[in-house]
Amino acid sequence: MLPENLRNHLSRRAFIKRGAGGIGAAALMTLLNPDLLRAAAKMNADGTMTVPGVLGHTHFPPKAKRIIYLCQSGAPSQIDLFDYKPKLDKLRGTDLPASIRMGQRLTGMTSGQATFPVANSLLKFAQHGKNGTWMSEVWQHLPTVADDICVVRSLYTEAINHDPAITLLHTGSQQAGRPSIGAWSSYGLGSDNQDLPAYIVMISRGSGNPLDQPLYDRLWGSGFLPSKHQGVKFRGTGDPVLYLSNPEGIDGTSRRKMLDDLDKLNQQHLDAVGDPEITTRISQYELAYKMQTSVPELTDFSKEPKEILEMYGPEVMKRGSYASNCLLARRLSERGVRFVQLFHTGWDQHGNLPTQIRGQARDTDQPSAALIKDLKQRGLLDETLVIWAGEFGRTVYSQGAMTADNYGRDHHPRCYSMWMAGGGIKPGITYGETDDFSYNIVKDPVHIHDLNATILRLMGIDHTRLTFRYQGRDFRLTDVHGEVVKGIIA
Amino acid sequence: MKCHGFDAKARQADLRLDTFEGATEDLGDGYGAIIPGHPEQSEAVRRMLTDDPEDKMPPPKSHLTLTKAQIDTMQRWIAQGAEYQPHWALMKPVAEPAPEVKQTSWPKNDIDRFVLAKMEAHGLAPSPEADKVTLIRRVTLDLTGVPPTPAEVDAFVADDSANAYETVVDRLLASPRYGEKMAMKWLDLARYADTNGYQEDNHRSMFRWRDWVIDAYNSNMPYDEFTIEQLAGDLLPNATTDQKIATGFNRNHRITVEGGVIPEEFRTEYVIDRVETTSTTWLGLTMGCARCHDHKYDPITQKEFYQFFAFFNNVPEAGLGTPGRDRNFDPMIPAPLKADQIKLGEIAAGLTVAEKTLADMEPKIATAQAAYEPTLAAEKEEASLNNGLIAHYPLDGDTNDVAFSGQNGAFRGSEGPYSAGMIDQAADFNGKRSIDLDDVGAFERTNPFSISAWAYPLAANDAAVVARQNEADGVRGYTLYLQRGLVHFQLIAKFPGNALMIVSKAPIASDTWHHLVATYDGSGKAAGAKVYLDGKPLDMTVASDNLTESIYTSVPTRIGGREATGKFLGKIDDVRFYNRPLTADEVAALAGTRAIARAAVKIPLAMRSPAKAHAVRAAFLEKGPAEMRDAFAKVESLKAQQKQILDTAPTVMVMQEMPTPRETHILKRGQYDQPGDKVTAGTPACLPPMAKDLPKNRLGLAKWLVDPSNPLTARVAVNRFWQSYFGTALVKTPENFGTQSEYPSNPELLDWLAVKFIESKWDIKAMQKLIVTSATYRESSHITKEMLEQDPTNKWLARGPRLRLPAESIRDEALAMSGLLVEKIGGPSVKPYQPEGLWAELATPGGIGETFVQDHGDALYRRSLYMYWKRTVPPPMMSAFDAPSREVCTVSRSRTNTPIQALALMNDVVYVEASRKLAERIVAQGGVKPAERLTYAFRLATARKPTADELKVLVDDFNFHLATYFSAPEAAAKLLGAGESNRNPSVDQRELAAYTAVASVILNLDETITRE
Repeated sequence: MLPENLRNHLSRRAFIKRGAGGIGAAALMTLLNPDLLRAAAKMNADGTMTVPGVLGHTHFPPKAKRIIYLCQSGAPSQIDLFDYKPKLDKLRGTDLPASIRMGQRLTGMTSGQATFPVANSLLKFAQHGKNGTWMSEVWQHLPTVADDICVVRSLYTEAINHDPAITLLHTGSQQAGRPSIGAWSSYGLGSDNQDLPAYIVMISRGSGNPLDQPLYDRLWGSGFLPSKHQGVKFRGTGDPVLYLSNPEGIDGTSRRKMLDDLDKLNQQHLDAVGDPEITTRISQYELAYKMQTSVPELTDFSKEPKEILEMYGPEVMKRGSYASNCLLARRLSERGVRFVQLFHTGWDQHGNLPTQIRGQARDTDQPSAALIKDLKQRGLLDETLVIWAGEFGRTVYSQGAMTADNYGRDHHPRCYSMWMAGGGIKPGITYGETDDFSYNIVKDPVHIHDLNATILRLMGIDHTRLTFRYQGRDFRLTDVHGEVVKGIIA
Repeated sequence: MKCHGFDAKARQADLRLDTFEGATEDLGDGYGAIIPGHPEQSEAVRRMLTDDPEDKMPPPKSHLTLTKAQIDTMQRWIAQGAEYQPHWALMKPVAEPAPEVKQTSWPKNDIDRFVLAKMEAHGLAPSPEADKVTLIRRVTLDLTGVPPTPAEVDAFVADDSANAYETVVDRLLASPRYGEKMAMKWLDLARYADTNGYQEDNHRSMFRWRDWVIDAYNSNMPYDEFTIEQLAGDLLPNATTDQKIATGFNRNHRITVEGGVIPEEFRTEYVIDRVETTSTTWLGLTMGCARCHDHKYDPITQKEFYQFFAFFNNVPEAGLGTPGRDRNFDPMIPAPLKADQIKLGEIAAGLTVAEKTLADMEPKIATAQAAYEPTLAAEKEEASLNNGLIAHYPLDGDTNDVAFSGQNGAFRGSEGPYSAGMIDQAADFNGKRSIDLDDVGAFERTNPFSISAWAYPLAANDAAVVARQNEADGVRGYTLYLQRGLVHFQLIAKFPGNALMIVSKAPIASDTWHHLVATYDGSGKAAGAKVYLDGKPLDMTVASDNLTESIYTSVPTRIGGREATGKFLGKIDDVRFYNRPLTADEVAALAGTRAIARAAVKIPLAMRSPAKAHAVRAAFLEKGPAEMRDAFAKVESLKAQQKQILDTAPTVMVMQEMPTPRETHILKRGQYDQPGDKVTAGTPACLPPMAKDLPKNRLGLAKWLVDPSNPLTARVAVNRFWQSYFGTALVKTPENFGTQSEYPSNPELLDWLAVKFIESKWDIKAMQKLIVTSATYRESSHITKEMLEQDPTNKWLARGPRLRLPAESIRDEALAMSGLLVEKIGGPSVKPYQPEGLWAELATPGGIGETFVQDHGDALYRRSLYMYWKRTVPPPMMSAFDAPSREVCTVSRSRTNTPIQALALMNDVVYVEASRKLAERIVAQGGVKPAERLTYAFRLATARKPTADELKVLVDDFNFHLATYFSAPEAAAKLLGAGESNRNPSVDQRELAAYTAVASVILNLDETITRE
């Protein structure tokens, strides 16, 4: 449904005079889709940006015009990836001190354990970049962009199980029913691209722990927002977009003819009944047709230079892989898709962590680094915010038996690590600190709501002012919480 | 209201503006926020007008602003005395007489007078009545969800009688499709689905509840009964099975099985979901807002929220559920289909008679049995059951072997107590201890063997009945294992690659005795492994059939555990090891009552459990005097029939009350682990109190909801009815009637309808009829530019609404017009076509998530409300057309217009197949010439004939495709391959393909998917 005032501006006379099907698709779009009457995003004198979404214009000058969100599902272990804790080497196998645990709740998987033996990371850490960002040895490529990324080591959440936690990360609530961050973005800012949806989601499987957590449509759902704001899945198998391909026996020429005739019939009916909603329907069919031609081009990497493909690593041509999704994310972002979200599963290392986490890093290390470099060399990193985060962290104590070369870690919501790059983020810094056990935060805590407030802020949105009235209440992504994390904004 | 409202904790400057007393309080020297009659002296007005950011109200940082008009209104209201009234929706509706109107010829019933009065007040006039063709299509789609047939259209057009339209409406209300259509909306409110909604989001079975809803609408159950049975049918005196099924309403919420969750956290969420769903559905109140603090806007305290919570807090349920039969969670009941319910009634009647006969004979039987018992006690076990018996542990107070293996067992972990078992005593297992049998049963892959045991597993077992298995060595060994009720029989060389693993297709019940036998022929193949449950072969799935290496391990064989893990919870009795696979007959004998009877007869009569006493009785009467045997057999056979029906009936989750209610506490900040003051069940003070004679339980609550004094229930219901016909409800926010709701566009009409509904004794069909027979409903939906200027949102209803059909109706219509629709009411949900991999791409690969297995045949063409609803991956075509996920209660769907919808209608196989069948249909029934056939297709889709211009486009389209397919016949064959329904080979395939292409255009018309 379009805003009434805009729809009413459309004189139906304009359509009567128009020869159906004889007009260029772009002109048709502009003419018929009132979303586009507001034109694509345009910078205003005060630095804010005029946008086709419900906000009309951003609240602040946007530092990030687009988001690429690399969601690492399953909860990557901060202790083995970014949060270097050398003192644990000496404490290996000792029981986690009660003064650290402070009676905090544990999941049903380890609450019955008689002891909580400290498991130091068996992975070696080193400092990288001008500011000496700590990274573990599983990262071979990420260090090459150390000066571009900002590692946050003090993210925290309340949820201790996957389903509620990942739902909180993406919708601001542990329980189902709220819109996802991408849907809020689509609702507030609208689409910058005339051929593609405003919010696109892609999924890949981790090889570290293939028996990892499932995902849910609600993570990119629209909740109570109009359902057109839900994320559109770009799939790794079959049609990249559901129902994109014509049925067998209908070729492009036949489809065009069918659409032209459909358009004529819809026009005639519009003339008879005068409902502006028909004009929207006509434009949506044209958009669908454009997607039929633009999406195959978009997902075809054959014209990418060899060195670019090599940069993303050996899996880049394997459709549905994380590497392939990263390159596709760049291509979507380049075409103005505002919110691209990747979900990579496999980070749930309850056991066998040293082996599994190497598998996960192998999947994601090179492509993530390549994405940043690729955006940078195209001059896009400045206006594209790249986010790498999971739903919670992992415990310092071992889950189950600990051996010389093996351990596992349970869920830990009290602190964990993530990184961001580009789009208004201070590059090359590390933000926040945890205690010697990576159990509690000792400096600069960042709650999920703070993270989301910050992401919106970088997009030029005041998180308290992007609201939707539902059940008598003005709902927002950050509920009644959230402080922008100024310390990481450039 | 947020800062100076009902919530005392959030109230700023101690100023309350939501009551007259608060707002006009003298704050000294006549200074006050609102001084009635004196806007110029009122501080509130000064603050609204000031430019001083310190004083400005609302404060600039709230981002709220008032328009000049709003401030003017405020000043006028203060000048007139600042009269406060309770929120309109909390006052009892009063039906004022229908207003006088100028255009007296227009109204057909009182609805129209209310609507016309508003139109006239706004200088509008009603649109003419829609033409008859449009009208019958509109009302047919609205009341039944499928379009009228051309014959129905013709009959209506030809019927000149005054009540022609009413006849149609009556016919539609009597159609069983009416109940299906009404249920569609109710399923959204009830967050009905076929899965649990969390994590892997696996199957549950609530279709018996869904079918109850359809039946209730079709039998026109009054709304008060409809309410009472769904909220508290179980508490009605002598509640019927149907009344219990109805309570599934409040078990449709999501339930988690995620390992590691804290059960109480989630059980609390379930109760909160019931509160939110119930208050939204019946009261239009957002009670959920008072979960953490007093409601910011509406007069509902946090305490009242938890008083309401207390009504739903007494269900004997688990926060972390263990799926049982049909993968449902307790409490649940067998919910036999209607025919079986009747049969059960007959059996019950027969049983009463048979039991009386048997009871009369009891003294005679008892005497005869006493004489027989010594014979039974002396009886020996069937000889063959000793063949190959290598060890036998009766577990009657010790762990000794009685088969002379020379190896007695020993408890590890702690010495176990023993308690009453299936045969004499059984060993108790607490999840920690197990019985170590050392090298008894140290079987190799090539050894044939059998293991037999009685087991009484408690819920939530993930444990071995018997195992010889070493987790530290690739889980090598073998086990008879229970995991969430599923029976596993595993022989493992190295997990998971080199193993033979079979697993039962369905879980077995917990908290009851089962006889379990695993047999293996030494072949190394899954085909050589069997499991028997209670004497009968158990239906198993082969999970792995790749055993090629040794399964021998040096760790001891154990009863009730693997080496390190998998320790059993419950009881185990009479464990036997054989060095050969037992035959089915032998297994039946082992599990049979005779074996139990022989043991039970040794127990003194007075001390026998009912089950054991029954076993002895059965063993005696098996061969006893004919008269007694027949009387006993009659009872047994009737009971077996009863059990057979109940054991195979679909189940449904229901509401039940615990004998001792849980204590309910206010939860601070809404947190499950922060209980505050204790509260008891009660209703909010802003609504009329519960009648004194009502019980303070769900039944009382349900009766309170439908008490005529309740100001909300009827208004909320009629408002939703109105919404389903006009798109926009009278209160534009049907999910919220609180102070933040939209004021009704026509409050007098809303109240009149609400009162009418109550006075009609909550007659739902009568209310639908009243609305659809009004002149307002019958108005043409044509829009002119002037109309758009005068009333862009059609608030005053001077025209009929033009609404895109709901997702379900779009698909149902395509199936109906193509002749594919298979009409059958109810039954398990069906899985028609959906793009491949949708479930798999989100699920854990190889995990416990179910795989999507598409149905075939009739199931592909059932109405869409029967489509299998997986909440985390709903049917994509339904989502594309705005169906909610059903994770939470949803009152209104959005109505969007997107390119994904276009792609679905153009390319989803169901629409391509429907186009093909529509093409076949018009060739068979639509005359000879293309123009005739296309006219018929157009009529099937839109009910009307195409105009000459439209027909020209259709014929031109047909000719284009005909030429295409004549030059590329292979393309025609491909197109006609869409879908699984039969093809008609007798028609020229190129011609049929061309018609299919045009039919697809017709299916995609805006008019086809719109109810005009």
